[in-house]
Amino acid sequence: MIQRMIAPLIFLIFIWFVVSNNDAKTIIAGVAIFLIGMHYMEDGFKLFSGGALEAVLERCTSTTPKAIGTGFVATAIVQSSSLVSVIIISFLSAELIGLTQAVGVVFGSNIGTTATAWLVSAFGLKIKIAHYALPMLIFGVVMQFSRHTSYRGIGSVLIGLGFIFLGISYMKEGFETLKDGLDLAEYAMSGYLGVFVYVFFGAIATVIIQSSSATMAIIITALATGQIDYINALALAIGANVGTTVTAAIGALASNKNGKRLAVAHFIFNIITGLFAVAFIYQLKALVDFLSPLLYISSSDDAMRLSLFHTIFNVIGVLIVSPFITRLVRFLETLFREEAEERGRAKYLTNEVMEIPAAALAALRKETIHLYDKSLEAIVHAMNLHRSEIFSDESIEQVVGHARPRINIDVDEVYNREIKSLYGEIIRYASITQKYMDEEGNNEIYELKLTARSIIEMVKDVRELQKNLNYYSRRHNAVTIEEYNKLRAQLVDVLRKIQQIRENEGDEEDVLTQIEVQREIVNANEIKLNREIDALIRDNKLDSRAASSLINDIGFAHSISKKLLNSASTLWVKDAQIKGLGDQYEYE
Amino acid sequence: MNTSEIAEKLADFFDLSKKKRSKKHKKLLKIIAKLEDKKAGLEADLLEAGEQDESSDKYVDLSQELEVVTKLLEKARKHEKKD
Repeated sequence: MIQRMIAPLIFLIFIWFVVSNNDAKTIIAGVAIFLIGMHYMEDGFKLFSGGALEAVLERCTSTTPKAIGTGFVATAIVQSSSLVSVIIISFLSAELIGLTQAVGVVFGSNIGTTATAWLVSAFGLKIKIAHYALPMLIFGVVMQFSRHTSYRGIGSVLIGLGFIFLGISYMKEGFETLKDGLDLAEYAMSGYLGVFVYVFFGAIATVIIQSSSATMAIIITALATGQIDYINALALAIGANVGTTVTAAIGALASNKNGKRLAVAHFIFNIITGLFAVAFIYQLKALVDFLSPLLYISSSDDAMRLSLFHTIFNVIGVLIVSPFITRLVRFLETLFREEAEERGRAKYLTNEVMEIPAAALAALRKETIHLYDKSLEAIVHAMNLHRSEIFSDESIEQVVGHARPRINIDVDEVYNREIKSLYGEIIRYASITQKYMDEEGNNEIYELKLTARSIIEMVKDVRELQKNLNYYSRRHNAVTIEEYNKLRAQLVDVLRKIQQIRENEGDEEDVLTQIEVQREIVNANEIKLNREIDALIRDNKLDSRAASSLINDIGFAHSISKKLLNSASTLWVKDAQIKGLGDQYEYE
Repeated sequence: MNTSEIAEKLADFFDLSKKKRSKKHKKLLKIIAKLEDKKAGLEADLLEAGEQDESSDKYVDLSQELEVVTKLLEKARKHEKKD
């Protein structure tokens, strides 16, 4: 009962505080408007970049220095380390990048996030920023009416910037009038006691506001209006850096193992950086004093010197921790290990990936390949073969011709246990993620859904083929066994060709050519096999029952072969224009 | 340049769908160029294989591949004309 009353009680006290104190109201309103601005900027970049941000984060992170650089640039432009983190976690989950690269991006992002402090200190305090805020808001709203996602995105970014500038203006105004009534500078604390106390305050403020950028904006405006002492402001900035790890940790609680691992990396980095900055705060201050004139920063401009301090200690933090990234990653990989893969469950379809189109498509593609591999097991065993034989160097005739005990596989049972639920998850995920996609993305999802359906139909076709395959193998009729071996040989040939395509990763034009050549072979084979059956019937080498079974099963084998090739075309030819040159899917 | 020309140039600049179509068209031309190179390579290999033995598996495989590449090239050219 008491626990339930605490939150409403705190809220009521907060309301009373805001309503009774005009200056606090202005400052808090400024913070709230600033946060709304950050939110709009984030949404705006998601829409506006049209996947450019994701493409940059995917391609420019192949080495650790590149990953750090990319994290820095991306966060400085987008002004949101949380957006960059969300994209990186989704990429990790979809296995588009590795953990080492992801950690590099997070480190770089910590430097990039210091750009907000520069924005506030260089522009927010020096010019009548509210004058620029209003036109930005107006044009931003006008652009929201555009049909094009990119223009709506730009509009959101403008609205975001406008609100950020407006928020800074209100915070500045609030602190300036607060000084008349209450001079917080009277509460300045010197020495290391002051450093520890203000680091603690900075951390608490960031945990409450859930944004280190907003905390920095408050610190800078308070410093610029003389409300806090310079050294105390430096300590608050260190605290804000440390406090942001709590924000990340809270966010990671509901995340998958990748999100949790990145939150731990973030925590370790910021704690080490924070400890270093506290231990050497006076030396860092001296470094800032030395560098400021070289960067044309006036010695009286505490706000810009604070921004320089914030950037320097984060850069030094990266320099200290980055040589140990490999060891850190090895440690992180020992954490949050999941249970062995549950049968029939999706491996790549996580919620973190859903909202990032590039990552969601990659995850769906990988999951469809996972479905293909699961189904392959059922198809191969239904033909009394093992994958190790099919993908060995033995000739197809040898693979198919070996006498072997029948593999007891109940295709229905395998389908129900391992395949059906995985298929269901793919369909569900594809349907939900479609709302975040543009037209091209939706077309790709539609193709993947059709491919998944096609794979399921293959499993059902092989179930039919298996019945007669096993029946006639027990009859020891050489003619029917030979004809059924030809069907198995055709399927083995197609599976080998697809496996070669998977392993070689050649040009997509080459991949499509190989698939189409195989398609021609399969089509020619169907005609040839049917003619052979006709000849066998005429020569009385096949009775009518066996003949009808074989003709049906040639149809099933042909259907399975075509579906295998159609699936290969979707899964391993990503370029829609190249894929479109191949034969269209045919669904029977 | 008069105002209507300026307005047209601005409209062209901001016309994202036109830019997208032009990008697709350029990509298609690259694909056609690649397929033409591939076809030329296959024709040369086929000639060489034919001089040795026209009934060999290599000759049969190469002629199959040449047939497919020719079909893909025809289709690509049809798509290009449509664009």
